[in-house]
Amino acid sequence: MVERKIKTVYDVICPFCGTLCDDLEVDVDNTTEKVVEVRNACQIGTAKYFSSNPSEHRYEKPMIRKDGELQETTWDEAIDKAADILVKSKRPLLYGFSSTECEAQGKGVELAETLGGILDNTASVCHGPTLLAEQDVGVPSSTLGEYKNRADTVVFWGCNPVHAHPRHLGRYSEYVRGYFKKDGRNDRFVIVVDPRNTHTAQIADLFVQVNPNEDYELMNAIRATLRGVEIEEEEVSGVPVEKIKQLVDILKKARYGVIFFGMGLTQTLAHHRNIDTAICLIRELNDHTKFLITPMRGHYNVTGANQVFSWNTGYAYSIDFSRGYPRYNPGEFSSVDLLMRDEIDSSLIVASDPASNFPADSVKTLFKYPLIAIEPHETPTSVFADIVLPPQMAGIECVGTAYRMDSVPLRLRKVKDAPGDCLSDLEILERLLEKVKEKIGE
Amino acid sequence: MSLKDCTLLTGRTINQGVALEGGKTTMENVRAAAICAFDKEDFKKLDCLVGTPVKITTNFGEVTVYSTISDEGPHPGIIFIPMGPWANQVVNPDSQSCGTPTYKGMKATVEVTKGAKVLDALSLIKLLKEA
Repeated sequence: MVERKIKTVYDVICPFCGTLCDDLEVDVDNTTEKVVEVRNACQIGTAKYFSSNPSEHRYEKPMIRKDGELQETTWDEAIDKAADILVKSKRPLLYGFSSTECEAQGKGVELAETLGGILDNTASVCHGPTLLAEQDVGVPSSTLGEYKNRADTVVFWGCNPVHAHPRHLGRYSEYVRGYFKKDGRNDRFVIVVDPRNTHTAQIADLFVQVNPNEDYELMNAIRATLRGVEIEEEEVSGVPVEKIKQLVDILKKARYGVIFFGMGLTQTLAHHRNIDTAICLIRELNDHTKFLITPMRGHYNVTGANQVFSWNTGYAYSIDFSRGYPRYNPGEFSSVDLLMRDEIDSSLIVASDPASNFPADSVKTLFKYPLIAIEPHETPTSVFADIVLPPQMAGIECVGTAYRMDSVPLRLRKVKDAPGDCLSDLEILERLLEKVKEKIGE
Repeated sequence: MSLKDCTLLTGRTINQGVALEGGKTTMENVRAAAICAFDKEDFKKLDCLVGTPVKITTNFGEVTVYSTISDEGPHPGIIFIPMGPWANQVVNPDSQSCGTPTYKGMKATVEVTKGAKVLDALSLIKLLKEA
Protein backbone atom coordinates (compact mmCIF):
# COMPACT_ATOMS: atom_id res chain seq x y z
CA MET A 1 0.00 0.00 0.00
CA VAL A 2 1.32 3.44 -0.96
CA GLU A 3 1.69 5.80 1.95
CA ARG A 4 -0.55 8.84 1.58
CA LYS A 5 1.61 11.93 1.16
CA ILE A 6 -1.05 14.58 1.72
CA LYS A 7 -3.08 14.88 4.90
CA THR A 8 -6.26 16.92 4.99
CA VAL A 9 -7.34 18.74 8.13
CA TYR A 10 -11.07 19.52 8.24
CA ASP A 11 -13.13 22.14 10.11
CA VAL A 12 -10.13 24.41 10.51
CA ILE A 13 -10.72 27.85 12.02
CA CYS A 14 -9.21 30.66 9.97
CA PRO A 15 -6.95 32.97 11.98
CA PHE A 16 -7.28 36.06 9.83
CA CYS A 17 -10.32 38.25 10.57
CA GLY A 18 -12.95 38.44 13.29
CA THR A 19 -15.35 36.31 11.24
CA LEU A 20 -13.34 33.22 12.31
CA CYS A 21 -14.67 31.01 9.50
CA ASP A 22 -14.71 27.46 10.89
CA ASP A 23 -15.13 25.36 7.76
CA LEU A 24 -11.70 25.47 6.14
CA GLU A 25 -10.05 22.37 4.72
CA VAL A 26 -6.28 22.48 4.58
CA ASP A 27 -4.07 20.01 2.72
CA VAL A 28 -0.60 19.57 4.17
CA ASP A 29 2.27 17.67 2.59
CA ASN A 30 3.27 15.10 5.21
CA THR A 31 6.89 14.93 4.20
CA THR A 32 7.68 18.64 3.95
CA GLU A 33 5.10 19.96 6.46
CA LYS A 34 4.00 22.55 3.92
CA VAL A 35 0.49 23.76 3.21
CA VAL A 36 -0.30 22.79 -0.39
CA GLU A 37 -4.01 23.62 -0.67
CA VAL A 38 -6.63 25.58 1.24
CA ARG A 39 -10.33 25.18 0.50
CA ASN A 40 -13.26 27.38 1.59
CA ALA A 41 -11.10 30.26 2.84
CA CYS A 42 -11.19 33.77 1.35
CA GLN A 43 -8.24 35.12 -0.61
CA ILE A 44 -6.63 36.62 2.50
CA GLY A 45 -7.16 33.55 4.71
CA THR A 46 -5.67 31.37 1.99
CA ALA A 47 -2.65 33.69 1.75
CA LYS A 48 -2.17 33.46 5.51
CA TYR A 49 -1.98 29.65 5.43
CA PHE A 50 0.51 29.69 2.56
CA SER A 51 2.56 32.37 4.33
CA SER A 52 3.24 29.87 7.12
CA ASN A 53 5.41 27.79 4.79
CA PRO A 54 9.17 28.37 5.07
CA SER A 55 10.27 31.29 2.91
CA GLU A 56 12.82 34.07 2.81
CA HIS A 57 10.31 36.20 4.74
CA ARG A 58 9.71 33.71 7.58
CA TYR A 59 11.90 33.77 10.68
CA GLU A 60 12.90 30.31 11.86
CA LYS A 61 15.43 31.16 14.58
CA PRO A 62 15.65 33.94 17.17
CA MET A 63 17.55 36.97 15.92
CA ILE A 64 19.46 39.63 17.77
CA ARG A 65 20.95 42.87 16.44
CA LYS A 66 24.76 42.83 16.54
CA ASP A 67 26.90 45.44 14.76
CA GLY A 68 23.76 46.87 13.19
CA GLU A 69 22.63 43.55 11.65
CA LEU A 70 20.05 41.00 12.79
CA GLN A 71 21.94 37.77 13.41
CA GLU A 72 20.73 34.31 14.39
CA THR A 73 21.17 33.37 18.02
CA THR A 74 19.98 30.83 20.59
CA TRP A 75 16.68 31.04 22.44
CA ASP A 76 18.54 31.34 25.75
CA GLU A 77 20.52 34.38 24.63
CA ALA A 78 17.54 36.03 22.93
CA ILE A 79 15.28 35.59 25.95
CA ASP A 80 18.03 36.78 28.31
CA LYS A 81 18.69 39.96 26.27
CA ALA A 82 14.97 40.64 25.85
CA ALA A 83 14.38 40.27 29.59
CA ASP A 84 17.36 42.59 30.20
CA ILE A 85 15.83 45.30 28.04
CA LEU A 86 12.45 45.01 29.73
CA VAL A 87 13.77 44.90 33.29
CA LYS A 88 16.00 47.95 32.74
CA SER A 89 13.10 49.97 31.33
CA LYS A 90 11.03 52.30 33.46
CA ARG A 91 8.07 52.42 31.11
CA PRO A 92 7.99 49.44 28.72
CA LEU A 93 5.09 49.22 26.27
CA LEU A 94 3.63 45.75 25.60
CA TYR A 95 1.53 46.07 22.47
CA GLY A 96 -0.26 43.87 19.94
CA PHE A 97 -1.74 40.54 21.09
CA SER A 98 -4.73 40.57 18.70
CA SER A 99 -3.33 38.03 16.25
CA THR A 100 -2.46 35.43 18.81
CA GLU A 101 -4.45 33.14 21.06
CA CYS A 102 -6.01 33.86 24.47
CA GLU A 103 -3.61 31.80 26.56
CA ALA A 104 -0.65 33.84 25.24
CA GLN A 105 -2.62 37.05 25.84
CA GLY A 106 -3.11 36.05 29.48
CA LYS A 107 0.62 35.52 29.87
CA GLY A 108 1.19 38.96 28.31
CA VAL A 109 -0.99 40.50 31.04
CA GLU A 110 1.08 38.76 33.72
CA LEU A 111 4.31 39.99 32.13
CA ALA A 112 3.05 43.59 31.95
CA GLU A 113 1.97 43.46 35.60
CA THR A 114 5.33 42.01 36.69
CA LEU A 115 7.19 44.72 34.77
CA GLY A 116 4.91 47.55 35.89
CA GLY A 117 4.57 48.41 32.20
CA ILE A 118 1.86 49.52 29.83
CA LEU A 119 -0.37 46.95 28.20
CA ASP A 120 -2.30 47.66 25.04
CA ASN A 121 -3.81 45.76 22.14
CA THR A 122 -4.72 46.72 18.60
CA ALA A 123 -8.25 47.74 19.61
CA SER A 124 -6.39 50.90 20.61
CA VAL A 125 -6.21 51.89 16.92
CA CYS A 126 -9.40 50.27 15.61
CA HIS A 127 -12.45 49.49 17.77
CA GLY A 128 -11.23 51.19 20.97
CA PRO A 129 -13.95 53.85 20.51
CA THR A 130 -16.50 51.03 20.28
CA LEU A 131 -15.40 49.74 23.68
CA LEU A 132 -15.63 53.26 25.13
CA ALA A 133 -19.15 53.66 23.76
CA GLU A 134 -20.23 50.26 25.06
CA GLN A 135 -18.99 51.28 28.51
CA ASP A 136 -21.00 54.52 28.19
CA VAL A 137 -24.33 53.25 26.96
CA GLY A 138 -24.25 49.43 26.87
CA VAL A 139 -24.70 47.36 23.74
CA PRO A 140 -27.67 45.36 22.49
CA SER A 141 -26.00 42.62 20.49
CA SER A 142 -26.28 38.99 19.47
CA THR A 143 -24.35 36.12 17.98
CA LEU A 144 -23.81 35.91 14.24
CA GLY A 145 -25.91 32.74 14.06
CA GLU A 146 -28.98 34.70 15.18
CA TYR A 147 -28.47 37.22 12.38
CA LYS A 148 -28.03 34.40 9.89
CA ASN A 149 -31.29 32.78 10.92
CA ARG A 150 -33.45 35.84 11.57
CA ALA A 151 -32.18 39.17 10.19
CA ASP A 152 -34.27 40.62 7.35
CA THR A 153 -32.70 44.10 7.38
CA VAL A 154 -28.93 44.41 7.44
CA VAL A 155 -27.10 47.74 7.60
CA PHE A 156 -23.36 48.02 6.93
CA TRP A 157 -22.25 51.42 8.22
CA GLY A 158 -18.67 52.54 7.57
CA CYS A 159 -17.47 49.05 6.76
CA ASN A 160 -16.67 47.20 3.56
CA PRO A 161 -16.90 43.46 4.28
CA VAL A 162 -16.38 42.50 0.63
CA HIS A 163 -12.77 43.57 1.19
CA ALA A 164 -12.21 43.31 4.95
CA HIS A 165 -14.36 40.32 5.98
CA PRO A 166 -14.84 38.59 2.63
CA ARG A 167 -16.92 35.60 3.83
CA HIS A 168 -19.07 37.48 6.34
CA LEU A 169 -21.75 38.10 3.72
CA GLY A 170 -21.84 34.46 2.67
CA ARG A 171 -21.73 32.96 6.14
CA TYR A 172 -23.80 35.27 8.34
CA SER A 173 -25.28 38.42 6.93
CA GLU A 174 -26.32 38.58 3.28
CA TYR A 175 -26.39 35.58 0.97
CA VAL A 176 -26.61 32.83 3.54
CA ARG A 177 -29.86 30.87 3.96
CA GLY A 178 -30.99 30.92 7.59
CA TYR A 179 -33.56 28.88 9.52
CA PHE A 180 -36.19 31.61 9.13
CA LYS A 181 -34.64 33.18 6.05
CA LYS A 182 -34.82 30.27 3.68
CA ASP A 183 -34.38 32.35 0.53
CA GLY A 184 -31.08 33.86 1.65
CA ARG A 185 -30.31 37.13 -0.14
CA ASN A 186 -33.89 37.53 -1.40
CA ASP A 187 -35.14 37.47 2.19
CA ARG A 188 -32.91 40.34 3.28
CA PHE A 189 -32.85 44.09 2.60
CA VAL A 190 -29.27 45.33 2.66
CA ILE A 191 -28.34 48.96 3.28
CA VAL A 192 -24.85 50.44 3.07
CA VAL A 193 -23.90 53.84 4.51
CA ASP A 194 -20.47 54.98 3.36
CA PRO A 195 -18.76 57.98 1.71
CA ARG A 196 -17.67 55.72 -1.17
CA ASN A 197 -19.76 53.50 -3.41
CA THR A 198 -17.86 50.50 -2.10
CA HIS A 199 -18.09 47.01 -3.53
CA THR A 200 -20.37 46.18 -0.59
CA ALA A 201 -22.55 49.18 -1.52
CA GLN A 202 -22.65 48.06 -5.15
CA ILE A 203 -24.46 44.85 -4.17
CA ALA A 204 -26.78 46.49 -1.61
CA ASP A 205 -30.46 47.34 -2.04
CA LEU A 206 -29.97 50.89 -0.76
CA PHE A 207 -26.78 52.96 -0.74
CA VAL A 208 -26.66 56.08 1.41
CA GLN A 209 -23.65 58.23 0.49
CA VAL A 210 -22.68 60.25 3.57
CA ASN A 211 -20.07 63.01 3.63
CA PRO A 212 -16.78 61.96 5.27
CA ASN A 213 -16.66 62.74 9.01
CA GLU A 214 -20.39 63.54 9.14
CA ASP A 215 -21.82 60.21 10.29
CA TYR A 216 -22.69 61.65 13.70
CA GLU A 217 -24.97 64.28 12.18
CA LEU A 218 -26.66 61.77 9.88
CA MET A 219 -27.23 59.32 12.71
CA ASN A 220 -28.86 62.02 14.83
CA ALA A 221 -31.00 63.12 11.89
CA ILE A 222 -32.21 59.52 11.61
CA ARG A 223 -32.97 59.47 15.35
CA ALA A 224 -34.88 62.75 15.09
CA THR A 225 -36.90 61.51 12.10
CA LEU A 226 -37.63 58.29 13.97
CA ARG A 227 -39.15 60.37 16.79
CA GLY A 228 -41.32 62.25 14.32
CA VAL A 229 -39.32 65.49 14.16
CA GLU A 230 -39.49 67.37 10.84
CA ILE A 231 -35.98 68.35 9.78
CA GLU A 232 -35.85 71.91 8.47
CA GLU A 233 -33.03 71.31 6.00
CA GLU A 234 -32.94 69.88 2.51
CA GLU A 235 -30.12 67.54 3.34
CA VAL A 236 -28.01 66.35 6.28
CA SER A 237 -24.40 65.18 5.81
CA GLY A 238 -24.95 65.16 2.05
CA VAL A 239 -28.03 62.91 2.32
CA PRO A 240 -31.39 64.39 1.18
CA VAL A 241 -33.98 64.50 3.97
CA GLU A 242 -36.38 62.51 1.76
CA LYS A 243 -33.83 59.69 1.63
CA ILE A 244 -33.47 59.82 5.44
CA LYS A 245 -37.25 59.42 5.74
CA GLN A 246 -37.15 56.47 3.32
CA LEU A 247 -34.36 54.91 5.37
CA VAL A 248 -36.25 55.37 8.65
CA ASP A 249 -39.35 53.75 7.11
CA ILE A 250 -37.32 50.73 6.06
CA LEU A 251 -35.69 50.43 9.49
CA LYS A 252 -39.06 50.66 11.29
CA LYS A 253 -40.62 48.02 9.04
CA ALA A 254 -37.84 45.52 9.72
CA ARG A 255 -38.86 42.46 11.73
CA TYR A 256 -35.30 41.79 12.85
CA GLY A 257 -32.57 44.26 11.95
CA VAL A 258 -28.87 44.60 12.60
CA ILE A 259 -26.27 47.29 12.10
CA PHE A 260 -22.72 46.13 11.42
CA PHE A 261 -20.22 48.95 11.65
CA GLY A 262 -16.50 49.40 11.10
CA MET A 263 -13.64 51.86 11.00
CA GLY A 264 -15.77 54.37 9.11
CA LEU A 265 -17.28 55.24 12.50
CA THR A 266 -14.37 54.66 14.89
CA GLN A 267 -11.53 56.31 12.96
CA THR A 268 -13.35 59.46 11.87
CA LEU A 269 -14.03 62.63 13.82
CA ALA A 270 -16.39 62.08 16.77
CA HIS A 271 -14.87 58.59 17.23
CA HIS A 272 -16.72 56.95 20.16
CA ARG A 273 -19.56 59.48 20.00
CA ASN A 274 -20.46 57.99 16.62
CA ILE A 275 -20.87 54.62 18.29
CA ASP A 276 -22.72 56.10 21.31
CA THR A 277 -25.24 57.54 18.89
CA ALA A 278 -25.48 54.35 16.84
CA ILE A 279 -26.24 52.36 19.99
CA CYS A 280 -28.83 54.97 21.05
CA LEU A 281 -30.41 54.67 17.59
CA ILE A 282 -30.64 50.91 18.12
CA ARG A 283 -32.27 51.48 21.52
CA GLU A 284 -34.86 53.78 19.93
CA LEU A 285 -35.50 51.41 17.02
CA ASN A 286 -36.38 48.77 19.59
CA ASP A 287 -39.46 50.88 20.44
CA HIS A 288 -40.72 49.85 17.00
CA THR A 289 -39.10 46.53 16.18
CA LYS A 290 -36.17 44.27 17.03
CA PHE A 291 -32.76 45.78 16.20
CA LEU A 292 -29.22 44.89 17.27
CA ILE A 293 -25.67 46.07 16.58
CA THR A 294 -22.32 44.32 16.15
CA PRO A 295 -18.86 45.76 15.43
CA MET A 296 -16.93 44.23 12.53
CA ARG A 297 -13.76 43.30 14.41
CA GLY A 298 -10.63 43.11 12.27
CA HIS A 299 -7.86 40.95 13.78
CA TYR A 300 -9.12 37.44 14.35
CA ASN A 301 -8.66 37.55 18.13
CA VAL A 302 -8.86 41.24 19.00
CA THR A 303 -12.15 40.45 20.71
CA GLY A 304 -10.28 37.80 22.70
CA ALA A 305 -7.60 40.33 23.66
CA ASN A 306 -10.32 42.62 25.02
CA GLN A 307 -11.92 39.72 26.90
CA VAL A 308 -8.67 38.40 28.38
CA PHE A 309 -7.42 41.85 29.38
CA SER A 310 -10.83 42.63 30.93
CA TRP A 311 -11.13 39.49 33.03
CA ASN A 312 -7.54 39.88 34.24
CA THR A 313 -7.40 43.62 34.87
CA GLY A 314 -10.93 44.96 34.60
CA TYR A 315 -10.11 46.90 31.44
CA ALA A 316 -10.09 45.98 27.75
CA TYR A 317 -7.08 48.03 26.52
CA SER A 318 -4.82 51.02 27.35
CA ILE A 319 -3.78 49.74 30.77
CA ASP A 320 -0.95 51.11 32.94
CA PHE A 321 0.60 48.95 35.68
CA SER A 322 3.24 51.48 36.79
CA ARG A 323 1.61 51.97 40.21
CA GLY A 324 1.38 48.23 40.82
CA TYR A 325 -2.31 48.05 40.01
CA PRO A 326 -4.12 48.45 36.68
CA ARG A 327 -5.23 51.92 35.62
CA TYR A 328 -7.20 52.60 32.44
CA ASN A 329 -7.26 55.76 30.41
CA PRO A 330 -7.41 55.74 26.60
CA GLY A 331 -5.76 58.92 25.36
CA GLU A 332 -3.21 58.70 28.17
CA PHE A 333 -2.14 55.04 28.16
CA SER A 334 -3.08 54.22 24.55
CA SER A 335 -0.04 53.35 22.43
CA VAL A 336 -0.17 56.06 19.76
CA ASP A 337 -0.76 58.81 22.34
CA LEU A 338 2.10 57.51 24.50
CA LEU A 339 4.41 57.45 21.50
CA MET A 340 3.35 60.91 20.34
CA ARG A 341 4.28 62.22 23.80
CA ASP A 342 7.51 60.18 23.87
CA GLU A 343 6.57 58.41 27.09
CA ILE A 344 8.02 54.93 26.64
CA ASP A 345 11.57 53.64 26.92
CA SER A 346 11.26 50.18 25.33
CA SER A 347 8.65 48.05 23.63
CA LEU A 348 7.62 44.43 23.26
CA ILE A 349 5.48 43.97 20.15
CA VAL A 350 3.51 40.72 20.05
CA ALA A 351 1.90 39.59 16.77
CA SER A 352 1.52 43.07 15.38
CA ASP A 353 3.18 45.55 13.03
CA PRO A 354 2.87 49.05 14.46
CA ALA A 355 5.56 50.43 12.12
CA SER A 356 3.12 49.80 9.26
CA ASN A 357 -0.06 50.64 11.11
CA PHE A 358 0.69 53.61 13.37
CA PRO A 359 0.88 57.22 12.17
CA ALA A 360 4.40 58.14 11.04
CA ASP A 361 5.31 60.47 13.92
CA SER A 362 4.51 57.82 16.53
CA VAL A 363 6.65 55.25 14.66
CA LYS A 364 9.65 57.58 14.97
CA THR A 365 9.37 57.37 18.77
CA LEU A 366 8.89 53.59 18.67
CA PHE A 367 12.25 53.21 16.95
CA LYS A 368 14.07 55.56 19.34
CA TYR A 369 14.07 52.86 22.03
CA PRO A 370 14.92 49.14 22.19
CA LEU A 371 12.29 47.08 20.40
CA ILE A 372 11.58 43.36 20.84
CA ALA A 373 9.28 41.74 18.26
CA ILE A 374 7.53 38.39 18.62
CA GLU A 375 6.75 38.00 14.94
CA PRO A 376 6.84 35.12 12.43
CA HIS A 377 7.53 37.24 9.32
CA GLU A 378 9.67 40.09 8.10
CA THR A 379 7.63 43.23 8.65
CA PRO A 380 8.66 46.90 8.80
CA THR A 381 8.56 46.49 12.61
CA SER A 382 10.56 43.26 12.90
CA VAL A 383 13.20 44.20 10.32
CA PHE A 384 14.21 47.21 12.44
CA ALA A 385 13.76 45.47 15.81
CA ASP A 386 16.64 44.78 18.20
CA ILE A 387 15.48 41.27 19.01
CA VAL A 388 13.16 39.04 16.96
CA LEU A 389 11.56 36.03 18.65
CA PRO A 390 9.95 33.76 16.01
CA PRO A 391 6.63 32.21 17.06
CA GLN A 392 4.53 29.39 15.73
CA MET A 393 1.46 30.82 14.01
CA ALA A 394 -1.57 30.20 16.21
CA GLY A 395 -4.38 28.41 14.40
CA ILE A 396 -1.93 26.95 11.88
CA GLU A 397 1.03 25.62 13.86
CA CYS A 398 -0.35 25.52 17.40
CA VAL A 399 -3.71 25.36 19.13
CA GLY A 400 -5.35 28.02 21.27
CA THR A 401 -8.59 29.88 21.87
CA ALA A 402 -9.90 32.82 19.85
CA TYR A 403 -13.04 34.96 20.20
CA ARG A 404 -15.14 35.68 17.12
CA MET A 405 -16.38 39.26 16.58
CA ASP A 406 -19.61 38.36 18.42
CA SER A 407 -17.59 37.16 21.48
CA VAL A 408 -18.09 33.45 20.81
CA PRO A 409 -14.92 31.56 21.78
CA LEU A 410 -13.67 28.94 19.32
CA ARG A 411 -10.78 26.51 19.62
CA LEU A 412 -8.10 27.03 16.97
CA ARG A 413 -6.64 23.91 15.36
CA LYS A 414 -3.11 22.95 14.46
CA VAL A 415 -2.63 21.79 10.87
CA LYS A 416 1.15 21.42 10.65
CA ASP A 417 4.44 21.86 12.48
CA ALA A 418 6.22 25.21 12.46
CA PRO A 419 9.50 25.50 10.57
CA GLY A 420 12.85 25.83 12.36
CA ASP A 421 13.03 26.57 16.07
CA CYS A 422 9.78 28.51 16.40
CA LEU A 423 8.03 28.31 19.78
CA SER A 424 4.41 29.16 20.53
CA ASP A 425 3.63 32.74 21.64
CA LEU A 426 2.61 31.27 24.99
CA GLU A 427 5.92 29.48 25.46
CA ILE A 428 7.93 32.55 24.44
CA LEU A 429 6.03 34.78 26.89
CA GLU A 430 6.33 32.15 29.64
CA ARG A 431 10.09 31.94 29.20
CA LEU A 432 10.35 35.72 29.05
CA LEU A 433 8.28 36.08 32.23
CA GLU A 434 10.36 33.47 34.03
CA LYS A 435 13.58 35.27 33.07
CA VAL A 436 12.17 38.68 34.04
CA LYS A 437 11.16 37.31 37.47
CA GLU A 438 14.63 35.82 37.89
CA LYS A 439 16.27 39.16 37.08
CA ILE A 440 14.13 41.22 39.41
CA GLY A 441 14.52 38.63 42.16
CA GLU A 442 10.91 37.48 42.48
CA MET B 1 -1.94 68.83 -12.73
CA SER B 2 -2.98 69.15 -9.11
CA LEU B 3 -6.05 68.81 -6.92
CA LYS B 4 -6.72 70.86 -3.83
CA ASP B 5 -9.20 70.35 -0.99
CA CYS B 6 -9.59 66.61 -1.42
CA THR B 7 -10.65 64.44 1.50
CA LEU B 8 -8.36 61.50 2.13
CA LEU B 9 -9.84 58.21 3.33
CA THR B 10 -7.85 55.10 4.19
CA GLY B 11 -8.95 51.50 4.76
CA ARG B 12 -8.68 47.82 4.00
CA THR B 13 -8.66 46.44 0.46
CA ILE B 14 -8.57 42.75 -0.29
CA ASN B 15 -5.38 43.12 -2.37
CA GLN B 16 -3.68 44.90 0.51
CA GLY B 17 -4.88 42.16 2.88
CA VAL B 18 -3.46 39.42 0.68
CA ALA B 19 -0.15 41.26 0.26
CA LEU B 20 0.40 41.76 3.96
CA GLU B 21 0.15 38.06 4.80
CA GLY B 22 3.80 37.16 4.78
CA GLY B 23 4.73 39.71 2.16
CA LYS B 24 4.86 43.08 3.85
CA THR B 25 8.34 43.80 2.58
CA THR B 26 7.62 42.70 -1.01
CA MET B 27 6.75 44.60 -4.19
CA GLU B 28 3.32 42.97 -4.04
CA ASN B 29 2.61 45.14 -1.01
CA VAL B 30 3.79 48.24 -2.92
CA ARG B 31 1.43 47.43 -5.79
CA ALA B 32 -1.44 46.81 -3.35
CA ALA B 33 -1.01 49.61 -0.83
CA ALA B 34 1.26 52.33 -2.30
CA ILE B 35 -1.58 53.58 -4.47
CA CYS B 36 -4.11 56.37 -4.36
CA ALA B 37 -7.53 55.79 -5.95
CA PHE B 38 -9.27 58.80 -7.52
CA ASP B 39 -12.80 59.46 -8.61
CA LYS B 40 -12.89 59.11 -12.42
CA GLU B 41 -13.77 62.76 -13.08
CA ASP B 42 -11.21 64.03 -10.54
CA PHE B 43 -8.55 61.93 -12.21
CA LYS B 44 -9.17 63.63 -15.55
CA LYS B 45 -8.24 66.94 -13.93
CA LEU B 46 -4.81 65.53 -13.08
CA ASP B 47 -4.16 65.04 -16.83
CA CYS B 48 -1.89 62.03 -16.40
CA LEU B 49 -1.87 58.31 -17.11
CA VAL B 50 -2.92 55.71 -14.56
CA GLY B 51 0.14 54.66 -12.60
CA THR B 52 1.81 58.07 -12.67
CA PRO B 53 3.27 58.86 -9.22
CA VAL B 54 1.42 61.53 -7.29
CA LYS B 55 2.42 63.36 -4.13
CA ILE B 56 -0.27 63.48 -1.46
CA THR B 57 0.16 66.23 1.12
CA THR B 58 -1.82 66.76 4.31
CA ASN B 59 -1.18 68.84 7.43
CA PHE B 60 0.54 65.77 8.86
CA GLY B 61 3.01 64.84 6.14
CA GLU B 62 3.45 63.86 2.53
CA VAL B 63 3.92 60.66 0.58
CA THR B 64 4.39 59.65 -3.04
CA VAL B 65 2.23 56.82 -4.33
CA TYR B 66 1.01 55.51 -7.68
CA SER B 67 -2.26 56.91 -9.01
CA THR B 68 -5.20 54.79 -10.04
CA ILE B 69 -8.90 55.20 -10.83
CA SER B 70 -11.31 54.00 -8.19
CA ASP B 71 -13.73 51.21 -9.02
CA GLU B 72 -15.70 52.16 -5.92
CA GLY B 73 -16.84 55.51 -7.26
CA PRO B 74 -18.24 57.93 -7.95
CA HIS B 75 -16.84 59.76 -4.96
CA PRO B 76 -15.95 63.28 -6.15
CA GLY B 77 -13.50 65.08 -3.89
CA ILE B 78 -12.56 61.90 -2.05
CA ILE B 79 -9.24 60.10 -2.53
CA PHE B 80 -8.45 56.69 -1.06
CA ILE B 81 -5.15 55.10 0.00
CA PRO B 82 -5.27 51.51 1.37
CA MET B 83 -4.21 51.20 5.01
CA GLY B 84 -0.49 50.63 5.49
CA PRO B 85 2.82 52.47 5.79
CA TRP B 86 2.13 54.83 2.86
CA ALA B 87 -1.25 55.98 4.13
CA ASN B 88 0.17 56.42 7.62
CA GLN B 89 2.65 59.07 6.45
CA VAL B 90 -0.26 61.46 5.96
CA VAL B 91 -2.92 60.49 8.53
CA ASN B 92 -3.86 62.57 11.56
CA PRO B 93 -2.23 61.05 14.69
CA ASP B 94 -4.54 63.00 17.00
CA SER B 95 -6.88 60.63 18.85
CA GLN B 96 -8.81 63.40 20.59
CA SER B 97 -8.07 61.54 23.82
CA CYS B 98 -9.82 58.32 22.85
CA GLY B 99 -6.70 56.41 21.80
CA THR B 100 -7.61 55.90 18.16
CA PRO B 101 -5.93 58.23 15.64
CA THR B 102 -8.07 59.89 12.98
CA TYR B 103 -7.11 57.69 10.06
CA LYS B 104 -9.86 58.98 7.81
CA GLY B 105 -11.07 62.35 6.59
CA MET B 106 -7.91 64.48 6.32
CA LYS B 107 -7.86 67.43 3.92
CA ALA B 108 -5.29 66.68 1.23
CA THR B 109 -3.74 68.13 -1.89
CA VAL B 110 -2.49 66.09 -4.81
CA GLU B 111 0.31 66.92 -7.25
CA VAL B 112 1.42 64.88 -10.23
CA THR B 113 5.11 64.14 -9.84
CA LYS B 114 6.19 62.34 -13.01
CA GLY B 115 9.48 60.55 -12.44
CA ALA B 116 9.19 60.67 -8.65
CA LYS B 117 10.11 57.47 -6.85
CA VAL B 118 7.57 55.48 -4.86
CA LEU B 119 9.46 53.95 -1.94
CA ASP B 120 8.96 50.35 -0.84
CA ALA B 121 7.76 49.70 2.71
CA LEU B 122 11.21 49.16 4.22
CA SER B 123 12.76 52.24 2.59
CA LEU B 124 9.83 54.32 3.78
CA ILE B 125 9.98 53.07 7.36
CA LYS B 126 13.77 53.34 7.37
CA LEU B 127 13.35 57.10 6.94
CA LEU B 128 11.32 57.14 10.17
CA LYS B 129 13.90 55.00 11.93
CA GLU B 130 16.66 57.41 10.90
CA ALA B 131 14.63 60.56 11.65
